[in-house]
Amino acid sequence: MSALRVVLRLKAANILLVFVAVQVVCIVMGLCFPRSFPYLSLNHVQLLLKSMAPLAILSIGVGILMISGEFDLSVGSNCALSAYIMAMTYNDGKGIPLLVAIALALLCGGAIGLFNGVITTRAKIPSFIVTLGGLMIWRGVLLFVSGTATASFETGKFAGAVFTGSWNVVQAQFVWAVLIGIGAHMLLEKHRLGNHMFSVGGNQDAARAIGVKTDAVKTKAFIICGMLAAFSGIISSARVNSVSPELGKNMELQAIAACVVGGLSLMGGVGSILGILLGAALLATIRDVLTMVRAPGLYLDLFVGVLIIVAVIFNRITRNKDV
Amino acid sequence: MPEAAQQENAANAVPETPIVAMRGLTKRYGSIEALSDIDFHISAGEAVGLLGDNGAGKSTLIKILSGIVPHTSGTILYEGKPTRIRSRNDSTAMGIETIYQDIALVDDMNIMRNIFLGREETNALGFMRSRSMRKKAMEVLEHTVGISGITSPEQIVRGLSGGQKQAVALARAVYFKNRILLFDEPTSALSVRETDKTLDYIVQLKGEGISSVLVTHNIYDAYRVADRFVVLSHGRKVLEVDKAQTDVEELTRFVVSH
Repeated sequence: MSALRVVLRLKAANILLVFVAVQVVCIVMGLCFPRSFPYLSLNHVQLLLKSMAPLAILSIGVGILMISGEFDLSVGSNCALSAYIMAMTYNDGKGIPLLVAIALALLCGGAIGLFNGVITTRAKIPSFIVTLGGLMIWRGVLLFVSGTATASFETGKFAGAVFTGSWNVVQAQFVWAVLIGIGAHMLLEKHRLGNHMFSVGGNQDAARAIGVKTDAVKTKAFIICGMLAAFSGIISSARVNSVSPELGKNMELQAIAACVVGGLSLMGGVGSILGILLGAALLATIRDVLTMVRAPGLYLDLFVGVLIIVAVIFNRITRNKDV
Repeated sequence: MPEAAQQENAANAVPETPIVAMRGLTKRYGSIEALSDIDFHISAGEAVGLLGDNGAGKSTLIKILSGIVPHTSGTILYEGKPTRIRSRNDSTAMGIETIYQDIALVDDMNIMRNIFLGREETNALGFMRSRSMRKKAMEVLEHTVGISGITSPEQIVRGLSGGQKQAVALARAVYFKNRILLFDEPTSALSVRETDKTLDYIVQLKGEGISSVLVTHNIYDAYRVADRFVVLSHGRKVLEVDKAQTDVEELTRFVVSH
């Protein structure tokens, strides 16, 4: 009883209940129809855990920024460009060392975030517009640099294990997503910077009046978001040992969807990392189940679209009830 | 009493070096002069009513004192020494805290986080010492403010009444040992009872040596707590008078007719 109360007091209680319900349905279906709906097969569990990680990491970055009151629509292009830079400079072992290439990719992602942050806060242009521009610019740069060719690379044993290792149900990518989630949770809930992020997103004027350096806080959120986008690109390309110029397309919208489903407010100042992770996991599960039952792609869009609207309405209702 | 004599009288009544004094302060926004040649001071343990109609320059004066906008010309003295208030940090260092009319709290954050916002207690890595902040928030809410209905520092501010929010803003101002509180329309969002409590509290603070500047439209509110009144009109000071030498009618006349 008290355990239930603890769960219900979580900021992400709504999404947690929905997530559990979806999982229960899938598991029951998996038990009843193990052949046509192999939800519980090791193969499938591995695949699901692997595939949700890049979206989860991307969503954490987008979510931190949304809590700070800004948007980043350029994360999909950012993750592709940054990953491509890693693949290009590493050049299958003929270029710079892999670790340096990864650092370079993270630097590239962070620099794009810094760019977004500086333009947004200094030129006072809504981040929606700045990063919509970025979405096209960075994809354009990538297509120019890559000549639309996919870059393949071989990571080697160690890096392969670090980024794509698979031991029974433990998946390296999933572990990364969880570790980043824990780090982000510590940042938002326990760290001064996180406190400032909530304040800037919740009431920028109040935060400024009390002495919070709102522009600096937002710019830091943009940089974190950019670096996580780059990292998401790295681990999703490490999985397939290649970077396609199409990598990360539409991911910005899925990440925002995951955040909204996870209980974040589009106005900023509200949300939790647990919610974001569950939102991303829910989207990934739905995507995966629809694939498994061989539903045409349009169902995914349809489903996710409905889910977003329902989630926002649901959050609005339950939030007003708290008041 | 003629106006000039009243002003002289009030000026003579300055007992000691004021905490903060402005001399010939002017603020221009482009070609508009929001404040012209203002002399203004705040001494320890006094409450000053800063009155005037909309656009008189009251808010500009408060913003200059709190470091949000810089002044154009003139001098600011802190304990008799010339100084500049360039940022919120400068005003904080002088012990000046502003309590805004729209109550500058973040609604979606809890009380504790609002009280310590921008001044979080952290370890060397920047992680917050939540337990210690929680304890202090509880103390300040219980002992300093004592407004009913606040049960836990973890309550989200959105659910509080106007008076409770004001109490949280006050708790924040008081906890950080400020010497001068600038109230920008403190009672405009409050119920009658809450207004009463807030005004009582300003009087109580005065007894503890904390000065207040009360910016308000409501002359009755100001008259209840202030010891001295300054009336602004179109960016100029048109009256400065001690409470003993004036009444609500005269103050109203100056606010309305200048």
